[in-house]
Amino acid sequence: MIKKLAFIVRSLPYKNEATRLALTHAIASQTVEIYLEDGDNVEPFLALVGDGVLCGLKNQSNKCYGITTMEQHITNALLLDLNVYYCKEDLERFGISEDQLVMDAESLGGDMKASIVPFSEIQAAMEAADHLQIF
Amino acid sequence: MGKLTIGSFPGLVGSLSLDFSVKLAEAAVRKGHSVDFWVSSNGTMLSKKGQRAFKDYPYLAKTIEELFKTGKFQACACEACAEARGYHKEDTMDGWIRKSMDWYLASCFSADRVLLIGGE
Amino acid sequence: MKLAVFKSDYKTGGDIVDRLSAEKLGIIFVGNGIYHASVKDGGAADPIFQKNANFYVLAEDLEIRGFNASQVPANVKVVTYDDVVDLMFNDYEKIVWV
Repeated sequence: MIKKLAFIVRSLPYKNEATRLALTHAIASQTVEIYLEDGDNVEPFLALVGDGVLCGLKNQSNKCYGITTMEQHITNALLLDLNVYYCKEDLERFGISEDQLVMDAESLGGDMKASIVPFSEIQAAMEAADHLQIF
Repeated sequence: MGKLTIGSFPGLVGSLSLDFSVKLAEAAVRKGHSVDFWVSSNGTMLSKKGQRAFKDYPYLAKTIEELFKTGKFQACACEACAEARGYHKEDTMDGWIRKSMDWYLASCFSADRVLLIGGE
Repeated sequence: MKLAVFKSDYKTGGDIVDRLSAEKLGIIFVGNGIYHASVKDGGAADPIFQKNANFYVLAEDLEIRGFNASQVPANVKVVTYDDVVDLMFNDYEKIVWV
């Protein structure tokens, strides 16, 4: 059995840990099988909505604080084949185009691509999920 | 009766949201449900032993101890979050588990309801 | 879906709550979220009440802030922690905290 877990990121990055923890908890799905029966698993997806879309901007630098950036975490999530959705309406509101965003993990050899979708699709994914979590 | 998984990130002192999550767990257990309680980020402070009661600060350690006695409550602190804050296994209250985040996801797998109280 | 939203703050979180929709929606005011149900900023009813939802407010969080059940709108049900547990397990399937 697969349980779908929604990780909805709506907060700005870096002021607190909320958005970082969304990413690290979602990524932890890669090792959850050690606790589960054969055939059971969780399938997380990440949806960046509202101010949360700003977490996905490229060119984030960790030089000052020395911590993993949200860009790196999103890249890792894609490398691990997690579905990542950006809310189209929010990107338009901020005037952010696709080429400004982390859309894949090709640089690390990953195949998964992030998707820019209307909020209605994110809502549909939330309805299909077993549990919702908003960060 | 069902299983409730609570994930809680706010700190022990400075926000009453952690108090909310403990009181919710208490109510769920009182009504016969089982509760898995995951603390991450500043919420890991709830697992630290040696908490003392003061009038101006929440004192949740006693409630947690009582919840453990019910046998319907288990609590787990994010190990990395705790270590990053400088407290270690020997600083942890009796009854707590310390694991990585996959413990929480596994708990979500078998939960009937999940409430995540993210950072504030 | 049957969705319960814990609204835990007053001035923030409206962005996401505005967009959430559900076949059955419950909004439970807790923490500073209780101000939605207990004050009228500018004399007007809070815009959150335009949502097609069932509204609840946690009695304990109301009382610690100096309000009581008689001061909340008639369409807001005052609930205890035990009631909240029942709502979560019996009336709603998915729960979020905003």
